Amino acid sequence: MAMKKFINDPDELTGELLEGYCGAFPQLVRLESDRIVMRATPKDESKVAIVTLGGAGHEPALSGFVGEGMLDASVVGDIFAAPGPIKVVDALRLLKRDVGILFVVLNHAGDVMSGNMALQMVEKEGIKVKMLLTHEDIAPGADAPAEDRRGLVGCLSIFKVAGAAAEAGKSLDEVYAVAKRLNDNMATLAVALKPATHPQSGQEIFELAEDEMEIGMGQHGEAGTGRSKVMTADETAETMLTQLLLAIKAKADDRLLVMLNGAGATTQMELFVVFRRVMQIVESKGMHIAHSMVGEYLTVQEMGGFQMFVAKLDDELEQLLKAPANAPYWVGR
Amino acid sequence: MADHVDYDVMRRMWASAAERVRNAKQTLSTLDAATGDGDHGTAMGKVADAITRTMDNHGDKKLASLLADIGWAAMGTDAGSTGPLYGSWFLGMSEQAGDTALDAAEFAGMLEAGVANLQLNTKAKPGDKTMMDALVPATDAIRTAANEGRSIADALNAGAHAAAAGAEATKQMVAAFGRARHIGERSIGHVDPGAASMSLIFAGFTEGFTNA
Repeated sequence: MAMKKFINDPDELTGELLEGYCGAFPQLVRLESDRIVMRATPKDESKVAIVTLGGAGHEPALSGFVGEGMLDASVVGDIFAAPGPIKVVDALRLLKRDVGILFVVLNHAGDVMSGNMALQMVEKEGIKVKMLLTHEDIAPGADAPAEDRRGLVGCLSIFKVAGAAAEAGKSLDEVYAVAKRLNDNMATLAVALKPATHPQSGQEIFELAEDEMEIGMGQHGEAGTGRSKVMTADETAETMLTQLLLAIKAKADDRLLVMLNGAGATTQMELFVVFRRVMQIVESKGMHIAHSMVGEYLTVQEMGGFQMFVAKLDDELEQLLKAPANAPYWVGR
Repeated sequence: MADHVDYDVMRRMWASAAERVRNAKQTLSTLDAATGDGDHGTAMGKVADAITRTMDNHGDKKLASLLADIGWAAMGTDAGSTGPLYGSWFLGMSEQAGDTALDAAEFAGMLEAGVANLQLNTKAKPGDKTMMDALVPATDAIRTAANEGRSIADALNAGAHAAAAGAEATKQMVAAFGRARHIGERSIGHVDPGAASMSLIFAGFTEGFTNA
């Protein structure tokens, strides 16, 4: 079937969407050059800046989380493609400050490569940056080496706690430490039901039979490991949550952050039905949901499916997570 | 036919390489959809455009600066890992390209410097089902031909054949790098798109050189 999307020239797509996005929230974000989304009101230079990079096509992520108490800048590439290192260097230069910058990179080959090159370039200029790689996907196994585990929707919670710690005036080492603690105690699994169409190539990014689903699918259609017949909401929730809770070694009385992130075509209705079962299982194990989010945060065009994210919180992480923030798409309250 | 790769010959070689890549954008994206996210044609199109755009604006007629400018232009594209990988290949080559002209041995030396710089940014090696499976055999073939005292035309031809054979051989490999590694055994049977596009570059070299 031919692609049906409201777009103009595919080559202009990323620029046009960023223009529209920043225009829609002018009090919160602005576009610097053509690919860097920054806070409309910059954070004071006495506070640590938080920067990320990544491809477009995942709206509202990642730029939807630029704002007070979260990201200072998001460097955007093209659809599903990392920005080149030069744009990342530009952003890091713009945010250069004595207290330093926390640079959060999701583990995907292109993002990591651009991030590392940019880091090498700015370190020569004396810009103080610390990089944190998110890699909470447990599809290859919770014990698989970090480089094999992709960074998925969990980055949002990292932006949030790091952003809150920075607003509170913490040092770069302290901001890094809280972000890393969350990074070490979180896990995501994705499940796919229906493919998405790449808006520039017009091609479906993966194939999946009518009656199949795939647990472990990446957010660009990278194949996962667990292809099966489509299961019910309850069965899917049980299968995924069991693995996730094991991965973070959650036990009775633990306080959890739980996020269900719709991939684009899965309805809010379905997400609530899945969340209901998640809630029941968590309660039955004597754990507590300290904070929950159910919605579309990091999408993959019109892909059917969702990402299930859990993290184990301590008092400080919970407090940072619940601290005020004002980014266009952060709806935690 | 020229016996050296001088500035004008080098430009024609890159022009042919870029043209071949641009013509194959759709094919490369289709190959990529089998194991990755189906955008390799788009990414390589951006690299090809960076090559052409840089040559259009390049003035000093020196090989090293041409390659360095292309390298930085590739780094500036939003092409996922393709931009930085090609960028570092070009920057490595520029360090050994000198200013004026290269014979077969010097051309091989230039390619080897490119591979060495690329390897600072990826651990992928031949057999991992990546661009390296075309690039390394092609570089080796050109080095071998140069050592045997063959003409640069012969050397480039050998390079193109080795690159094509190397790309074809990726069909039997299990991906160990990039997005395709996540599917393991299921990657068998598909040519790696990064190796396929690299083989087009070497095909373009020999074509551009022959037509020079």
